Amino acid sequence: MISRVADHCFWLGRYLERAESTARLLQVTESLAVEGDLLPLQCWQPVLITEDEEGSFIRLRSAEALADGEAVQEFLCFNPQVHASLLCSIGAARENARSIRETISLEAWESINELHLWMQSPAARASFDEERYGFYRHIRREVQLCLGLLRGTMLQDLPLDFIWLGVVLERTGQTSRILDVHHHAFTIASEAGEPVGSAAPAVVHLSHWLSLLRACYGFEPFMKTHHGPVTGQAVARFLLFEQRFPRSVRHCLRRARETLARIRPASSGLPVLLSFQRLVVAEAWLEVLASGPFEYASLHEILTRVIDESQGACNEISLELLGAPPVQATPEPPAAAPLSGQSQSQTQMSSQTK
Amino acid sequence: MRLLEGYHPIAGTHDELFAPDGTIRPAFVSAASGLSRRTAAEYARSQSLAERALLNQGVTFSVFKNKEGVEKIFPFCLLPRIIDAGSWAVLERGLTQRLLALSAFLDDVYGDQRILAEGLIPRDLVLGAHHYIPFLRGVKPPGGVRIHISGIDLIRDPEGTFRVLEDNLRTPSGVSYVLENRVVSKRVMPRAFDAAGVQRVDHYPARLAETLRSVAPEAAIDATVVLLTPGPFNSAYFEHSFLARTMGIELVQAPDLYVDDDRVWLRTTRGRRPVHVIYRRTDEAFLDPEVFREDSLIGVPGLMRAYAKGNVAIANAPGNGVADDKAIYAFVPEMVRFYLSEEPILQQVPTWLCLRDDDRAYVLEHMDELVIKAVDEAGGYGMLMGPQSTAAERVDFAARIRSEPRRYVAQRRIELSTCPTWDRASASVVPRRVDLRPYLLFGTAGPWVLPGGLTRVALVEGSYVVNSSQGGGSKDTWVLKP
Repeated sequence: MISRVADHCFWLGRYLERAESTARLLQVTESLAVEGDLLPLQCWQPVLITEDEEGSFIRLRSAEALADGEAVQEFLCFNPQVHASLLCSIGAARENARSIRETISLEAWESINELHLWMQSPAARASFDEERYGFYRHIRREVQLCLGLLRGTMLQDLPLDFIWLGVVLERTGQTSRILDVHHHAFTIASEAGEPVGSAAPAVVHLSHWLSLLRACYGFEPFMKTHHGPVTGQAVARFLLFEQRFPRSVRHCLRRARETLARIRPASSGLPVLLSFQRLVVAEAWLEVLASGPFEYASLHEILTRVIDESQGACNEISLELLGAPPVQATPEPPAAAPLSGQSQSQTQMSSQTK
Repeated sequence: MRLLEGYHPIAGTHDELFAPDGTIRPAFVSAASGLSRRTAAEYARSQSLAERALLNQGVTFSVFKNKEGVEKIFPFCLLPRIIDAGSWAVLERGLTQRLLALSAFLDDVYGDQRILAEGLIPRDLVLGAHHYIPFLRGVKPPGGVRIHISGIDLIRDPEGTFRVLEDNLRTPSGVSYVLENRVVSKRVMPRAFDAAGVQRVDHYPARLAETLRSVAPEAAIDATVVLLTPGPFNSAYFEHSFLARTMGIELVQAPDLYVDDDRVWLRTTRGRRPVHVIYRRTDEAFLDPEVFREDSLIGVPGLMRAYAKGNVAIANAPGNGVADDKAIYAFVPEMVRFYLSEEPILQQVPTWLCLRDDDRAYVLEHMDELVIKAVDEAGGYGMLMGPQSTAAERVDFAARIRSEPRRYVAQRRIELSTCPTWDRASASVVPRRVDLRPYLLFGTAGPWVLPGGLTRVALVEGSYVVNSSQGGGSKDTWVLKP
């Protein structure tokens, strides 16, 4: 398979997953914010940090606007200058798909193209203004449709492997960042005493952990596997270690490792991939962590390492498989999206948690 | 035209949102600001979005007519019923007190029967109640809890006083609508919701799961909790699956369970699995054919033996029906005084017991003024609304009362409070009568009241019947933050 084509496949997967995850995060945060138990800043700033767009938001809007949910949503939905915005993620997914239309199935191409056209039409704007929930739901569904079509209509072969590799690595990063940033925000909120509202602290915390789970599709799976009080520690363990949950860090890393093993089987006689070795080591490390008592205080450290490892794996995949030239220094983030191809690999998964 | 302009409360009736002079009550002006700013046309759009959302989510119940089941959406009015924090705090204390008294009463009735020995409640009335189960006397439920989940129906009289209408201590339903109504309200009018400052309800399933696990006979962390449903044909099946899903527990039917060695087991693909807590949404007559109906094939034979041995917790406990009997209801204030040495915080509706000769004579003479109810029926069945009844219906009911006086009670019809409600036909907001069912959980940690509840609304003009099976609808209940 041509490296360039593999690169587009990989990024198609990542951008699709990213768009879906961003839409989901915004939708859940909107629901959390209207309950009014947290200050608006406590709700919306973590979203920008998760999306690695806090700096650009302050630059393009203002620091005061961090507490303005409407401004943050507008920014992360429609701003063409914002790399992580839905407009740009969907545009970039579509651009990658367009470059390899001969590789992906017609049905999958049409679904992503339709979503891209819708995002640029007045219909998207009207939906955003009049029925916010429906807007996010539409995007999530269309992306899920596209992912389902890719899996359901394409040959189970290398192109699909690369798309899926992009999906699971993006998912690893998203789950880790959402968990890290929210864990951080909740810790601050509880240290500052009870934010606003009257509900007992236990109720507020419980509700926050439940909305964190919802942001990762984890609410029902968590309730099915966890029998006991809902605590931050239990939620963190679940999102990190639960192998049967398709969005847990451990599950995603395992899927990435298995996919790499299919892409370069041991029988190929080629050198073992550094990215593969890195994932093997990371998995072993997570296994040790999962089997021992869990130090909640070390969550941030653990997540930082997860994010660094998946970032490292992405960089190595770029070099080893996708034909990226070796990098000397960290390049400037590109100014505008949509993007496709190699230059993106450096900017996507940098660690940004506080 | 703004949505709430031109709304007129009914004279002689308490309106939840409006004062008698036609202005919004001061406590709600800011909470209702997001609603009152809208135009009727804007509102109509939101209302139809909400209805579509409920239909798509499959939030439905089944009604049986001519043996054919029809799936319906529970009609939903997006205009919320609002309760201020101060009133709610009083209700919360009153409901908790009432639950503690009812709970003490059940412990007593299935224990020493002190209240009967003292003569505060007629012995025959209790021991002769249809739902009293002599077999359970002396059986202590696991965790010491009997009323794990309750719904206590409240109405509001013309003075604005909340009064208890009835207690539901067996299998109260409707909480799934509270949660789904909230989801939809937040979704289609987030700004209005945000502006009001409403207490959250979405942690109910997690609290319910904790409550159920707390009464497990063995270490709670390993406990298997199941929800026992009669099956997809039950009118509340949506709610059963909703609760099982949001609690992450198995939804089981009776044939999935069996009893061996006085323990309850679940049949699974990996062999049998012990069951520790059963949240039963079946009528207790169908729990165990060995005890309740020997002719019945429905149920789990031996379940009551396992329960009596303390090997399984059943929520709610079998036998609770003796406490939510509509005749026993009349004695709840006595229970509060007797068991808690307190005065009841909540009022209730004055009740005549046809069992008593004087009361019966009065009831038979005033049938056209009274609401007459069979003590063991629910859902708006088995009752006579005196003021709206025909002479023939009254003759029929009088005969029933004479033949089974124990089965009937009568109450004065209370002018239920009204709430501004959307009327699709006239595309305007009109007053419609409402009640309120708050939900209480009671685990080993004590009672807890969900800040909210199911507001049921009689959608037909002039109607007092709010039951879903009889043309009622529902509203989201916004309990404001202090």
